[in-house]
Amino acid sequence: MDQDAARLLFSLDAALARWLAAARMRLGQIQMETLPPPQAGFRLRHHDDAGRPHEELALFTGGADDAVELARYDDAGNYRPLKTAPNLRHGWRLEALPDLPALRRALDAFYPARLGALLAFENGRLPVTPLRETLARQTGMYRITQKLTDAQADALVGRFCRSDGGCLRTILWRRDLAGTPASSHLPPEKFEPAFDQTGHGETRSLPLLCQEACNLLVAEARAVIKGERTAAAASAVDC
Amino acid sequence: MQERGGLAREKRGKTQKKNPAEISRFFASFAGYLLRVIPKLDAALLIVGHGSTVNPDSSAPSLAHAATIRRRGLFAEVACVFWKEEPALRDWPLLFPDPTIHDIFVVPNFISEGYFTQTIIPRELELTGDLTERDFPAGQRWHYCPPVGNHPAMTELLLQRAREVAPGVPERETSLLIVGHGTGLNDNSAVAAKQQVAAIAALDRYAAVLSTYMEEPPHIADWAKLTDTPNVVVVPFFISDGLHSYQDIPVLLGLEPEPTAAASQQAVFRQNPRHLHGRALYYASAIGTEPRFADIILEQTAALALA
Ligand code: SF4
Repeated sequence: MDQDAARLLFSLDAALARWLAAARMRLGQIQMETLPPPQAGFRLRHHDDAGRPHEELALFTGGADDAVELARYDDAGNYRPLKTAPNLRHGWRLEALPDLPALRRALDAFYPARLGALLAFENGRLPVTPLRETLARQTGMYRITQKLTDAQADALVGRFCRSDGGCLRTILWRRDLAGTPASSHLPPEKFEPAFDQTGHGETRSLPLLCQEACNLLVAEARAVIKGERTAAAASAVDC
Repeated sequence: MQERGGLAREKRGKTQKKNPAEISRFFASFAGYLLRVIPKLDAALLIVGHGSTVNPDSSAPSLAHAATIRRRGLFAEVACVFWKEEPALRDWPLLFPDPTIHDIFVVPNFISEGYFTQTIIPRELELTGDLTERDFPAGQRWHYCPPVGNHPAMTELLLQRAREVAPGVPERETSLLIVGHGTGLNDNSAVAAKQQVAAIAALDRYAAVLSTYMEEPPHIADWAKLTDTPNVVVVPFFISDGLHSYQDIPVLLGLEPEPTAAASQQAVFRQNPRHLHGRALYYASAIGTEPRFADIILEQTAALALA
């Protein structure tokens, strides 16, 4: 492959153009819209706000810098440590995104590196790491997570990664090298990139992929082992 | 891999120390100048921050410095990764797939060499030393640069911060306290704070210059006992106004009865000075929020060539 062809294949802007051309205008909880002239360019908002009149939504025009701020707190003003959690705040519209690079940077601020993950996945180049490997690599205060039992891992992932209230990513990793599913508590759709994890049944949404357990899950594994998450957390999985 | 990274780091640390300070400073400032003005459009910059799952301001300086550098148009791409936030360190293979990007400069936005720069970052980014060549994109070279806190300008920035927070206050009647984290895995930060204090004390401007810590003696909580001047200036040797410098240390100083909301959630930044124990106490924001850190990040990409 020559360099220009490779560049096109791995260009996020080109990929974004392809996705938009296929009317794939949803990424997680974000609805993309192309604006007609004279405005042109793109607008983003929370998909729950798609039916609301524009005037009701606070206008932001600061591109990716504004996106970082919008992604930082939920509706109640709490910090969002996990950007793919289903708690994106409502009531805003981000406009003045004149072109694909501006759109890409804004989306990347809402969901860091997720467009890159999807493109790598489509190109067959997304490295996926089993949970056991992620835990085995840990040192320092997280080394203890290597003691997580299979039953604990099963319950933890089922509770922590669930799409309704946990995280909107589609899990690609397995628990171990033998290919054990990440959790028996999660429905098969949780591992299916074509499925809309927001529960809105959007058939053409762009998935937020999880190629390796995040640091929050590793920290939670530590809490489980240290006994900081016991009866209450466990029962949350059972019900 | 992790050990090789660590060993390479130690060796380089020694090499750097052998250079006479003035020569290395001259080359650093010259190379730094070039780096600040010459675009490298076949290269990308990756700033590595700690981030936080509880404090919204921890990643802010890394993101701000990245935005500053991005606006200058010096690199094809400028990105950040974090240990505790997204994009995660482990997302590294997704960041620069463009085959026209040949070199990636990785600069840890950390106050010192230590557990993070020698173990976590090389492990998570799969770096094998100062230079790592990747299979994909073929031949892409990742250069692992020293952390920002190692830069020789750090002393001057601490002094500048101290002057800004207490303008017009006579230095001869002032104690300057540099506060670091201390203890635990990252104990090199304490060494770095001590080195800065020694450098500032050698200038003989302040009545006293002391290194203090949150978690080991001399404790910052004992500031009134540790000093006897009418003015006390405290500068946090931290990267961000996060949990430690904005929420924990003010409690230890007696400025707040309990941790306040995060900096970005406060309507007004703290007022200086505060009068406590019969002294005027001036508390600065973390050194890493200084906008000149953007230049320091750029200059650290040259430090490899000098070592
Ligand atoms: S491990 Fe993946 S799916 Fe689970 S919470 Fe973290 S990012 Fe979401």
